[in-house]
Amino acid sequence: MSTEGRAAVEPLLGFADTLPAAAPNASAPAPTLHLLTFTLDREEYGIPVTQVREVIRVNSITRVPQVPAHVRGVANLRGRILAVVEIRTRLGLTEGVVTPSSRIVVVEVRGRVLGLLVDRVSQVTKVPVDSVVPPPEEVVTAETDFLTGVARWDSRLIMLLELDKVLLLNG
Amino acid sequence: MTLEENPFGDLLQDYIVECLPLAEEVGHAFVELERRWRDGEPGDELLASVKGRLHTIKGNSAMMGLAPMRDVAHALEDACGFLGRAAARRGDEAAALLVSGGGLLVDLIGDASPETDGTAAKAFVEEVRRFLAAAPESSSAERDRRQTDRRGQPRIGEGDGAGNVVRVDFRRLDAMLELLGEGLIQHSGLTELYRRLQRRVGACPEMEELDQTVLSLQKTLTRLESTLMETRLLPVSTVFGRFPRLVRDVAHAEGKKVRLEVTGGETTLDKAVLDRLGEPLLHLLSNAVAHGLERPEDRAKAGKPPEGVLRLQAGAVSGRVAIRVSDDGRGLDADAIRARAESLGMDVRTADTAQLHNLVFVPGLSTAERVTTLSGRGMGLDVAASVIHGLGGTIDVESLPGRGTAFTLSLPVTLAIVRSLIVEVDRERYAVPLSHVAETVRAEPEAIRQINNQGVTQWRGDLIHVADGGAVLGTGGLSGAPRSYYVVMTAGARRRGLLVDRLIGHQDIVVKGLDPALGRPPVVSGTTILGDGRVACILDVVRILEGAGHVN
Amino acid sequence: MAESFLVIDDSKLLHQMYRLIFSQGDLAGSTVHYAINGREGYALLAAHAELTLVLLDLNMPEMNGLEVLARRQQERLHLHVPIALVTTESTEDDEARGREVGAWDYLRKPFQPSDIQRLVRRAREQRRERGAA
Repeated sequence: MSTEGRAAVEPLLGFADTLPAAAPNASAPAPTLHLLTFTLDREEYGIPVTQVREVIRVNSITRVPQVPAHVRGVANLRGRILAVVEIRTRLGLTEGVVTPSSRIVVVEVRGRVLGLLVDRVSQVTKVPVDSVVPPPEEVVTAETDFLTGVARWDSRLIMLLELDKVLLLNG
Repeated sequence: MTLEENPFGDLLQDYIVECLPLAEEVGHAFVELERRWRDGEPGDELLASVKGRLHTIKGNSAMMGLAPMRDVAHALEDACGFLGRAAARRGDEAAALLVSGGGLLVDLIGDASPETDGTAAKAFVEEVRRFLAAAPESSSAERDRRQTDRRGQPRIGEGDGAGNVVRVDFRRLDAMLELLGEGLIQHSGLTELYRRLQRRVGACPEMEELDQTVLSLQKTLTRLESTLMETRLLPVSTVFGRFPRLVRDVAHAEGKKVRLEVTGGETTLDKAVLDRLGEPLLHLLSNAVAHGLERPEDRAKAGKPPEGVLRLQAGAVSGRVAIRVSDDGRGLDADAIRARAESLGMDVRTADTAQLHNLVFVPGLSTAERVTTLSGRGMGLDVAASVIHGLGGTIDVESLPGRGTAFTLSLPVTLAIVRSLIVEVDRERYAVPLSHVAETVRAEPEAIRQINNQGVTQWRGDLIHVADGGAVLGTGGLSGAPRSYYVVMTAGARRRGLLVDRLIGHQDIVVKGLDPALGRPPVVSGTTILGDGRVACILDVVRILEGAGHVN
Repeated sequence: MAESFLVIDDSKLLHQMYRLIFSQGDLAGSTVHYAINGREGYALLAAHAELTLVLLDLNMPEMNGLEVLARRQQERLHLHVPIALVTTESTEDDEARGREVGAWDYLRKPFQPSDIQRLVRRAREQRRERGAA
């Protein structure tokens, strides 16, 4: 699914500027979670902003022959090779189609830097900690393994992902 | 006075450059001496020859404030002086003492620093003292003033002794190389941009000037690259130096008599390659001693001299370095390999002897028991081979029953920047290292025939297999149109053609490693970034020629 | 007046050490000749009558320090030039033998820059005295 043209990757959200010093904001009246939320098949997912380095447009993902499942390929991140994970298939959905609103979320988890291919990215969202509940028990899918909880907030349902599990970093 | 307070502290690197080769020569001489004494020869001239070197090492170490090295050299001098007079004491105990002292001296000097610990040196000095005291004719050892000829030996490292050598952290060289790599990528981008601009603007003096400037920049970068690469080059003797002693230890443990001949130590390799080469080479040597060479009695029965010969040769061959480990032992047992392969379920009916021999690199196929811990350290031939592959090298084996075995390694001189051929298959681009490309040929459909479901063609008088690029790379031939070219890829003695859509051109590419998330894709050895910013996979020619990636 | 010196030593490392020493203090700016063996050293000695001091290593292959001194004595070459014999250790017998063949002084390794400076000062004094005489 490679596209022509130069890899003009621009950071869309400058997290270096907007990242809070530490996760919970001491001056807020109640502890909040800062989440980066993105959409897969119209479902919303969230990960802690502290794990996100930047968000880039999808310019060109080079396929690598015979890699493990869920690895879409590699992309050029300002001269560094970034492995891009097809998070959709990891969560049991179909392979993604790259559209103009697709993005790669560059995350750093346990010292490893990887890219997540998502359909659409929303702004950083602050949700109160007490809006998070455990994943619903009646929905038992392989997917719930990857959730640390679900945030009900502002008429949105945001599924909080545990990136360690999603990216299989526990070895 | 410690090294730090020493006024000559800055000369530590020069000290190592001068004294390490001397210490290694002493070490080799001691190993040789041990052999001679076992055979009942006196070895006087050897004893005399090490005196001068030990004396120099002692003096230099004293000047540098390096007491451990000074003391070990002094103790060895005393021991040699004593043994020069007391011929009756020349035996296994004396030899072991000298050899261990020689090894200790090499280790101390090689790692010389203000922090060098003196414990091992003190223990050795004490050992020598006890050895000398136990002798009936002992007295304070008199040093022999007469110097003997010192054979001229090539020195390790550059520098004309004029203090022009500096010590640089290797990581800094890596960082510089990384920056140079970025520069090369940017230059590729610049060239691409020039082409696009030229199409839009057309010819004019400024475009001409731009073209010249871009070209000059490339020349400068290329020169910078080779200069930088040279700083990383070290002679292979830095790794070979430890082998004589280690081979001797293995021979001892295995009850074999071995003579190790080393040539080509001045051949240079990138430090990064050299650092990882030691283990596989040691394994090959140990393997040869443990399994290749017969016991002295068996050799005698076969009409061979009881002492086995192990050769380690290094040489540069057109941009690559060849290293050969050979022995004059019993050779590989092709029948045993065949039997073992079959017992593992492999189909080897049509395999010829050479192919059977090369099976020794397959995990689980070694017909010998796991090598002893001393030599093996958990490494098998399969692991050694994959380490060498990981360095972008190849390894082949030849063997004649009853005559011996030879392993030949071919390694790229440097790791980081590789001249490559860029090809396109099914709209994806790939890089093929030029060192593995014999030729590119226009593909005429009639010239390629199908035999047993495999494409074959005539190439330079040989019949070679030709595989479809899309099949090997798993992209399956999107266009449906026939491929225009095939690339004849080579690795060691193997050749194979790969059908591709387009030949894009030659390019210097910066090799970037594979992210662990990608696992171990069988046909890709790395990635690189092309001039247009796209990532391209670098084909692992060695694995492809072994059959990886073929769709069954 | 620029001074000149001669170093005869088979160790490149020692050459570098001497270079360091002769670049400091009042020795800076002087000319230093370097020889890597006894033969070369002898030739350089023959070519330079104005040397303030010669530093001669004792233990060298082919032609050692004692042999250089003995040859100079026999050929009566530049006997006014002070030659210091540099050794790693020496006994009284060694020193006696050295003086027999004309060694002016001894320098034991390991030595410090100050040891060389002291030798140079004494060599200069001797030269002044001789010049005055």
